[in-house]
Amino acid sequence: MNAILAAWNRFFFTERSPVPLALFRIAYGLLVMVTLLLLKADWIPWYGTHAWMSLGAMRELEPGLRMNLFTILPQDDLWVIALFWIFLASALLLTVGFLSRLNSIVVYLCLASIQQRNLYILHGGDTFLRVAGFFLIFAPAGAALSVDRLIRVWRGREQSEVPLRRLWAQRMIQIELSLVYLTTFCWKLKGAPWIEGSALFYVFHLFELQRFPLPDWLLQPGILKLGTWSAMVLEFSLGTLIWVKRMRYKILAAGLLFHLSLEYSLNIPMFQWDMLSAYLLFVDPGDLQRAWNWICVRVGPWLGKPVSVSYDSRSARTCRLVNLLVALDIFHRLAFKPSAETGNRTSAASETNNRELILTTPIGTCLGTDAKLILAKSIPLLWPLVPFCYFRTVAQSRK
Amino acid sequence: MVKSSQTNRFARWRDLAISLFLLFHLIAIPIWCLPSNSLPLLVCRDLVRPYFLWSGLFQTWDMFSPSPKRTNGYLEAMLVYTDGTTDYWQFPRMDRLSFTERYSKERYRKFEETLADSKFADLWPDAARYIARHAPDPSKRPEMIMLILNSSDLVRNPDGSFTDLPWQSRVFYRYRVEPEDLNPQ
Repeated sequence: MNAILAAWNRFFFTERSPVPLALFRIAYGLLVMVTLLLLKADWIPWYGTHAWMSLGAMRELEPGLRMNLFTILPQDDLWVIALFWIFLASALLLTVGFLSRLNSIVVYLCLASIQQRNLYILHGGDTFLRVAGFFLIFAPAGAALSVDRLIRVWRGREQSEVPLRRLWAQRMIQIELSLVYLTTFCWKLKGAPWIEGSALFYVFHLFELQRFPLPDWLLQPGILKLGTWSAMVLEFSLGTLIWVKRMRYKILAAGLLFHLSLEYSLNIPMFQWDMLSAYLLFVDPGDLQRAWNWICVRVGPWLGKPVSVSYDSRSARTCRLVNLLVALDIFHRLAFKPSAETGNRTSAASETNNRELILTTPIGTCLGTDAKLILAKSIPLLWPLVPFCYFRTVAQSRK
Repeated sequence: MVKSSQTNRFARWRDLAISLFLLFHLIAIPIWCLPSNSLPLLVCRDLVRPYFLWSGLFQTWDMFSPSPKRTNGYLEAMLVYTDGTTDYWQFPRMDRLSFTERYSKERYRKFEETLADSKFADLWPDAARYIARHAPDPSKRPEMIMLILNSSDLVRNPDGSFTDLPWQSRVFYRYRVEPEDLNPQ
């Protein structure tokens, strides 16, 4: 019993890096936004007060108490449109990780509502987004790669290192993903066309589902038979072997190819991407870090020469600013040197009450607005601020 | 010291609550979605149904299974105007749309699939009213809406090849349009 409890605690409650979860949050937010934008022309035809199906008909066909904001909204299309815009804005905020918990709740409420309002236009991808969204509410989705984290760093509540978190809600999304594959596999076992290998023929010969054309050789009965059985083997593997660490990446790579081939051949909008987004949760944070370092080594030289930043480590405000810059400097373009330790303090630092950062670039040392401009240019996440910093520099030089 | 022990106690209770939450969902979700209708599963499903419907955790993963559809089909509607003339209302047909359009209009395919199923006959009056309000000729008043299913079965030949049977059309619903249907409040 103790061993089971220990395994349970290890599986659900061990502190781990929240970076894969943060990547999933970003992918999730983007997928919700794209889904909404694809639907935009039909917001009113599907969800309006005089839509294809009335709220009353939906309630009669699907009775029961349901989380559905449409039941409490005034019966007016303006409210429906307002709900969609709020939903879209909230999904955007969730993507960037601002008020992540609140926005994950708002996104889930809105998503569940539009699905409950019209259950007959949904596909598996929508269902997966809904169920994953439910567990995302309980996850520390804003723990990394988020505006929330930058705010915490600026307030001094977190350092430049991303703190580890307990990711039991992430575990539930992972389990949900593997359950989807396993359940699908079980359903297929019950169908004669899947067992005899003819299922894919029917799937690929439905005009309404076809997307891009397939080469003739792929539609031969023998190939389709092989494809039918391979799909079943793969779904079983994705439902079970994905938990075996040694095999995980091979299975994920096969799953990626499987979904990309379906994305090419079948017109089921966003379904494949919805499923693939959860693959991010199975990637080891250490491997993510190695992959990111590999990208930094290759992309870094394109972003200019590294900049050395000296700061007074005795100033709490400056230390917080440095932590913030470390969090923002995802391509590692800045090298920070605490001047109190190095004894490298300059007279300029003394003049500015130790609150300024002093930048050493290949063309010399600078601080103040010049330093801000160089920082904004060096850190891609700050590029949107470059024009503002530039104008401030020009204005100051004129004075 | 007292504060620390209180914190520990709170953490223990919190973890216990989370564990119960997790355990419940780990049992309830597979019970809900596994493709078995054994009596114990049906009883358990009935027990968790209110929670699943309310929370939005209901789910089905029968993708193209147990048997994929074996019929190509599409819906259209015939409108009979008060002056006796007729018109057709076309649902977006995926195979006739551009690659980008079919990506955003795919929901219509799904809806047509549902609409053609007699289990969802309660949807037919609403759909007919919607079509009446969006008649191709707004200057005329539709009097009757007929929902038509066009279908062609895919048949497997003994040599392993397949044939599309000829298209067949069937009116599966007639709706007499009332004046208030055209100007709903």
